[in-house]
Amino acid sequence: MTKATIQPLESLRLTQYAVPIPCYICETDNTFDSEFCCHCAAPIALAHQVRSQKIQPRMTAVIGASGVGKTVYLGMLMDMLSHQRGPMRVLARGAFSITLQQTTLSALARCEFPQKTPNEPDRWNWVHCQIRKPKQRHPLELMMPDMAGEALLEEVDHPHTYRVVRSFLQKCSGAMLLIDSAKVMEGSRDQDFFAMKLLSYLSELGNTRKDNWSNRPIALIFSKADQCEECVADPEGYARDHAAGLWQYCQERFGCHKFFAAGVAGACVSRESMTEGCMQVPLRIEPHGVIEPFKWLLDEQTAKGK
Amino acid sequence: MRKSSLNWVLLVVLLLSLLNLGLGWLMPDVRFTAGGGLGICYVVVRYLVWAGNRRRQKDQRQSTDFARAKPVATVAQRDLADPSDTEGLVEQMMAQGRFPLLLRAQIAETLSRTHFGRALQALEESMGLVPDGEVVLGQIDDALDDGRLDDEEIVAARGRVVRVEPFFVDRYPVTNRQYYEFVADGGYEQMSLWEKTIWPAVLDLVDRTGMPGPRYWREGCFAAGEENHPVVGVSWYEAGAYSRWVGKRLPSDAEWVKVGSWPVTLSATSRSQRKYPWGETMDRKRANLWGSGPEEIVAVDQFAEGVSVGGVYQLIGNVWEWTSGGFHSINHPDSELILPMPMKGIRGGAYDTYFENQATCQFQSGENPLARRHNIGFRCAVGVCDLSLARAPEQEPQQTDAPPDAPAQPDVAAQSDTEPEEVHA
Repeated sequence: MTKATIQPLESLRLTQYAVPIPCYICETDNTFDSEFCCHCAAPIALAHQVRSQKIQPRMTAVIGASGVGKTVYLGMLMDMLSHQRGPMRVLARGAFSITLQQTTLSALARCEFPQKTPNEPDRWNWVHCQIRKPKQRHPLELMMPDMAGEALLEEVDHPHTYRVVRSFLQKCSGAMLLIDSAKVMEGSRDQDFFAMKLLSYLSELGNTRKDNWSNRPIALIFSKADQCEECVADPEGYARDHAAGLWQYCQERFGCHKFFAAGVAGACVSRESMTEGCMQVPLRIEPHGVIEPFKWLLDEQTAKGK
Repeated sequence: MRKSSLNWVLLVVLLLSLLNLGLGWLMPDVRFTAGGGLGICYVVVRYLVWAGNRRRQKDQRQSTDFARAKPVATVAQRDLADPSDTEGLVEQMMAQGRFPLLLRAQIAETLSRTHFGRALQALEESMGLVPDGEVVLGQIDDALDDGRLDDEEIVAARGRVVRVEPFFVDRYPVTNRQYYEFVADGGYEQMSLWEKTIWPAVLDLVDRTGMPGPRYWREGCFAAGEENHPVVGVSWYEAGAYSRWVGKRLPSDAEWVKVGSWPVTLSATSRSQRKYPWGETMDRKRANLWGSGPEEIVAVDQFAEGVSVGGVYQLIGNVWEWTSGGFHSINHPDSELILPMPMKGIRGGAYDTYFENQATCQFQSGENPLARRHNIGFRCAVGVCDLSLARAPEQEPQQTDAPPDAPAQPDVAAQSDTEPEEVHA
């Protein structure tokens, strides 16, 4: 009696190995069964998705200093857009795209902030989603990674330390730069300096005049605006008065930029943790101004045909 | 492309086009004329697009400015009654919604039968009666939260059982119109209504135009069309001062939870308590929360499906409500929170509350008592024991001509703020 079994066709497997898969971020070749790019540690699943769908996704960066709220902003943005009854709808592509939303929202529902994003790029959450807008024939594909603030700072201070950061930012068609409004309000100029360093890094990335970041849209978002009501009323004026260096830099170097204010928690207190020291605790979740910068960025990108 | 660069390009194209047209006219050549014509068309189209964008942006800016600065409502000014005219004073207090003051024992006996009846009727119409009983406060473990909790389990889950005396609670949150009466009556100048500790800050409690009043008002008045919206932008102290002026007080935490969760004691050790005023599961059609409403504050009589058993509306959603108690970290049982200042409790969630589990009867958040947030309002309560609800049939007014001076200047210390008795801690 014979028993039917499925045997892998070794020749097919060898063929697959023979055809390299270029990483979508840094474009270096990888084997077809790699999970992460061997050079930049970006997930190869992105390349597989792009190859199978034959669509070139648009890339948008969410950048800012460590602890500024990039993970919360991105997770909240994805969740709000996926629940929104409005004209713009977002559908996540791939299970890994939902992980960020899941971890962020689970933590916020428990009145906690999500854990800090690790510095290792292979542990970052990548979001690949499809955006449907009215009067648009083809849905828009978008990629946004949740990059660690410390990794960004390291790359800015020592270029080529994080290859994924550089490759990704070079390919981005726009960026959302988060600035901690609570720290700006306290009078600390660290946020101002870090934002300027990031912008300076971006402005040096473009090789040609066409590719230059000065032509790409940048949304400058004052995060944690619930703790600073002044910046909610007039983000541009707040930047001019409290982050003058950043405001001036944007006026000089970036033709397409706009200031926004966003907040997710209604009120915050702190908590002393045995393991992680002093931590912020949200007392309730009331998102404000989260979608507006993203919509503006998409509109600007569409207008520029990126 | 930057705007200045674009302007230069358009200018150059225009000049070249004109030059081409000129050449085409001087030495008749259709190529020059066509080139010039195309160039001029290009410049005109670019100019029209630019002008259209500019007009659209201007319209958008104007509509935003208009939305920000809504016109102020026109409210008819009330003529103040003559202090010697008892009838007029009583009528004025009834119109101002201060009938609980008229029902205080020392004043009720001086009222005519008609006035007493009208005050009682106003009480029944605008306030719901909540019977006495026990209520569980605090975070209940989901595993135990099957609606039938016995005391040992509750205490193990850090819950508390609090006994509440019978009281009346406002059926609706305090509206802009109701609060306007307080502002127009000089509530911000009557220092006896305010806690002594807050006196230095009262001058700073002004609206957008610097007049005394809630933060988002203008010229001492609310925006047109928002008469029936809950008043927001008021601090805990302003809520307390209004409550005293109107003859009521802020509900305690236990009272607020009791109104919504409407606990029923099944036996000595078992009770059933609702998660939401309408039942155990969230129904977004019944509350104005993020994703279920128009994403702004609505009038207090909307979302009527969310009414509690006792006939109290909008306990969940629309605006958070101040309670008299402090904020305790009951939502974070395994950690001690470091509060920047002693915070006051708010309950019920608002139109922008994102999570359903933060808009339950049990959930408590906290806020700085001086904060005047866009989504925090309040409602008032008054203990049954503080009111005189019945009169002997033969009882007649003792001094019909005596002015009820006590309600006009109620003594803060004399207000009976009956605190619930805690049974288990």
